[in-house]
Amino acid sequence: MESKRQDERFIIPIGPQHPALKEPAHFRITVDGEIITNAVVRLGYAHRGIEKATESRNWVQNIYLVERICGICSHIHATAYCLGVERLAGVEVPPRAQTLRVLVAELERIHSHLLWLGVAAHEAGFDTLFMYSWRDRETVMDLLENVSGNRVNYSVNLLGGVKIDIDNQISDTIREGLAFLEERTLHYLDVVSNDMAFLQRTRGIGVLTRSQADVLGCVGPVARASNVPRDVRVEAPYGAYQQYPVNIVLVEKGDLEARFIVRLKELLESYRIIREILDTLPPGELTTRMPRRIKEGETISRVEAPRGELFYFIKSNGTDTPERVKVRTPTICNMLSVLKLAVGHQLADLPMILAGIDPCFSCNDRVAIIDHRRKSPEIWTWQDLRQYGIEYYNGHSR
Amino acid sequence: MDILDKIFTLLIFPGGLFLLILGLAYEWVDRKLLAQLQNRIGPRWFQPLADVIKLLAKEEVIPEGVNPWLFIGLPIIALAGSLTAALYTPLVGLPPSHSFPGDLIVTVYLLSLLTLCMGLAGSNTLDRFSLMGATRTLTQLFSYEAPFMLSLLGPAIVVGSWRIADITSYTENHWLLLSQPIGFLVALIGLIGKLEMPPLDAPEAETEIVAGAMTEYSGRGYALFRLAKGAELVVGLTLVASFYMGGMANPLLFLLKTLLLLLVMVGLQTLITRLRIDQTVGLWWRYGTLLVLVQWLGMIIWKGVAS
Amino acid sequence: MIITTEKALSTATELFENWVWKTRTEKPEPNRLDVYLRSSEDLIPMTVGLRVQRLGYLAAITGLDLGPETKECELLYHFCTAAAIVTLRFRVPRDGAIVPSLCSVIPSAEVFEREASEMFGITFHGLRNPDHLYLPDDWPEKTYPLLKDFNPEVLKTLHDREPDNGK
Repeated sequence: MESKRQDERFIIPIGPQHPALKEPAHFRITVDGEIITNAVVRLGYAHRGIEKATESRNWVQNIYLVERICGICSHIHATAYCLGVERLAGVEVPPRAQTLRVLVAELERIHSHLLWLGVAAHEAGFDTLFMYSWRDRETVMDLLENVSGNRVNYSVNLLGGVKIDIDNQISDTIREGLAFLEERTLHYLDVVSNDMAFLQRTRGIGVLTRSQADVLGCVGPVARASNVPRDVRVEAPYGAYQQYPVNIVLVEKGDLEARFIVRLKELLESYRIIREILDTLPPGELTTRMPRRIKEGETISRVEAPRGELFYFIKSNGTDTPERVKVRTPTICNMLSVLKLAVGHQLADLPMILAGIDPCFSCNDRVAIIDHRRKSPEIWTWQDLRQYGIEYYNGHSR
Repeated sequence: MDILDKIFTLLIFPGGLFLLILGLAYEWVDRKLLAQLQNRIGPRWFQPLADVIKLLAKEEVIPEGVNPWLFIGLPIIALAGSLTAALYTPLVGLPPSHSFPGDLIVTVYLLSLLTLCMGLAGSNTLDRFSLMGATRTLTQLFSYEAPFMLSLLGPAIVVGSWRIADITSYTENHWLLLSQPIGFLVALIGLIGKLEMPPLDAPEAETEIVAGAMTEYSGRGYALFRLAKGAELVVGLTLVASFYMGGMANPLLFLLKTLLLLLVMVGLQTLITRLRIDQTVGLWWRYGTLLVLVQWLGMIIWKGVAS
Repeated sequence: MIITTEKALSTATELFENWVWKTRTEKPEPNRLDVYLRSSEDLIPMTVGLRVQRLGYLAAITGLDLGPETKECELLYHFCTAAAIVTLRFRVPRDGAIVPSLCSVIPSAEVFEREASEMFGITFHGLRNPDHLYLPDDWPEKTYPLLKDFNPEVLKTLHDREPDNGK
């Protein structure tokens, strides 16, 4: 109360721990009544120092490391890394392996988008949709487990190929699962575009115009919901996307409703691609030989993660460890749009706007410190927490 | 004997213990049905009781900067309010244990005590989530209170008495649900708002403000607030059922009626997205109040013509 | 208006080959164009040039430590259009480098610049909010984790501090 009098500002801390955030981040939301007047973000609560850590591990070990950057889109990180390293080494991956990578990537996209649908609905206070979409997500998780043996870190990629293969039995299981998911997706599409109560919370909220999205450098579904045709699978087809072209999904309105529709329509597109792959999977080898040392050079590998463009810059110095691996995840590009969009909206809309970009903080927070930190995580967290607590109760003003 | 009888009425039945247990049972039905409709399994039958026992056993943390008397006292006042309200209502279809002319007004205000206490409890702390929650709780109170009140007064006007016992004996033969459907609907939705259940749970929207006004409450205080809410759920359902759905009846039938109402409420909770606080206010003042007023006007004119 | 990869590359090549300040360009891969800047002063005009031609959005800023022997870091600004990637790159000293901030031209540069500044110790002139983005607030000063000679022992002072348990 006092702080309000002091500088006429009332700051609501969202995070580092908050029910709206599934991962830690800290937003300081200045409100005037219920209206947001300013928003500031502080990241870094999920730092693991992966960029630095890649420099002390060899090329193969790093696959497992980058796979653990994100729990939701683990496959796409490893794919981006492998594509880059293979390009540096000048190795051609067999077509069957490339196609299987795309297959798993699309299954992962389905799982990620369904997860997002649930989270976003929960933020809006529509728990029924949350429960149903997460139930359906189990189907695709089971499919992924069927294909790779794992539900989360699929560990499908190798340098020079993939570890898994699918047979007719697995393809039939996938087809069955997709038929069920397609029916459900069409239903959800109907719900998010026709349910009046839900539309009250999404239509016209958090509008990002095309030019704003362009200037702020938004990527992925957020950009496509604002009619910016930015999809690496279409613009710069990598791997097997040349053989299995993707139809870009664009919606003009740029509000939350559009972001729902874009993601749900992308699900339908993913089902189509997976079916096509299952029908025409090229036969052949799964792996090819890779040198242990990678030729000196630099390369840039861009792939389309479920949340948008994932950017890898890899530099080799001719040894068996990389000189530098730079990761730019999609969330960091979209984060700025949240802060800009939030201003002027109701506090109640913030969780939705935030969820609208499908933020992934552990993706963001991969850089920084090395393993040493892990030994005593409580210590620094405690400092941080205490600082946070002091600010929290003193009604501080910055 | 008389004094023993009074103590029994206050502490065991229909006040006190019975009401608390009934409140927990209704809370369980609400949670279980909601879970089933959302394709979940839901809690076991003793879960609400277990929650309350756990909370009662927990340490109550009194945060810095609050007035400790208010902090401890408010939950007790809230619970006392709901329990007192129960004395004037025909619980499980039995005649109310106390009655006097005008007890309807008192009951409605006793029911608001819970919300007021929650608002005060929220603004008593320095926590921002609590403050936001308290603001929203009180905003919501001001928006649903008038239409809710009006919708309960509708039957009173028809009967021509402010006494709950009089109204329920009249409604035994008249299902006002048929003649005053709008009042019924407003009363039911008003009850959802009063209890801050979804979709009108903006005051405690966890994705925005954690637990709203309740954020700083942990142990006993929180348990008492929850018990008060349970009791209020029972009292509210009883009022709506006895006013609009055929007055007093045998206990089993009456229980079925209230459970049917609860089912409708759970249906609304399942189907509708949480409303923003501005949307809630809009809903009540743009539609709720106006519709009830129109119905009132119709009733008064009809009464005038008929007499 | 959709710009194809080839068009983007040819426009960019044309733009930079006729640049007032002579620059060296290279094509390390068919879809990439690396532009070596004379110094960081050319950065803003060149970015404006790219924006005017509607070439790409800022996809990332990569910092590279070229090693303590060279006493230099390299900054790479990647701009993507379709499959084309135009990279503006230049070297800065490892110690006390000051580089103009792109925030006035491209607002989204802020996060990348904050990251580069805490990881490599590069100061961005004109950056509105130079606070840490990822690193904790009590991170030791003048310690930049992505430099090659970063010594993790420095952090021991950070972690061995006794927690005071809030008393």
